[in-house]
Amino acid sequence: MKYKFLAAFTLMICMMSMPFSLQAETYDIKEMTPEVKNALDARTARFGELQSLKAQGIIGENNGGLVEVRKSSPVGSGLAQEENADRMVIYQAIINQNGLGLNGLGKVQAVFAEVQRDKARSGDFIQLPSGQWTQK
Amino acid sequence: MKKYLLIPAMLTLLVGCTVKTVGDPNRPITINANVIVDIRGLKNTATSIEDMVSGGQR
Repeated sequence: MKYKFLAAFTLMICMMSMPFSLQAETYDIKEMTPEVKNALDARTARFGELQSLKAQGIIGENNGGLVEVRKSSPVGSGLAQEENADRMVIYQAIINQNGLGLNGLGKVQAVFAEVQRDKARSGDFIQLPSGQWTQK
Repeated sequence: MKKYLLIPAMLTLLVGCTVKTVGDPNRPITINANVIVDIRGLKNTATSIEDMVSGGQR
C-alpha cells in the first residue's frame, strides 16, 4: 500500500512536470494593438490591387515573406513598400508577443513566405527557398 | 514493489535531469539559449492571418 501511494505520487509529479513542448505550440497575435490592426486593415484594403499587380507579373512573393517588384512600375513600387511595411509590423508583433527572440524574424518570414507560395495563384511569380524565382 | 516504481522512474529519466558544471568561477560559462519555433504552429497562424487578409478572395 505504501509503495502504491509512493508510485502514484511520483507519477503525478512526473505528469505535472511534463514539458509543454509535447503539445503543438500556438503563435498568435495575442494583443491586437492599434499598429497591428491598422496593418491588417491596410493589407485587407489593398489585397485586390496587389493580386492584380501579381497577375500582371509586376509583383512577386519573395522567400522572405515580402513582396518584390519584378517589373518596373511606380504604382507597384509604392504598393510593395506599403505592403512590406505592414507585413513587418505583423511579423514583429508575432515575434514580440510570443517571445521568439532575435532569431525569430527569419523563421517567421520563412513560414509566411511558404504560406504565400502555397496560396499563390497559377502564373504568379514566387521565389523558392533556394532564391530562384519561378512562375507558379 | 518494482513494478510500481519502474514506470515513474523511467518517466523521471525522460522528463529531465539536472546538469551540474564545474569550472573556474572567474570564467563563467556562457550558454546560448535558442528559442525553438514550432513551424507547424507558426504556419497555422500565418495561414489564418493570410486568410483573414484575403477575405476569401483567393
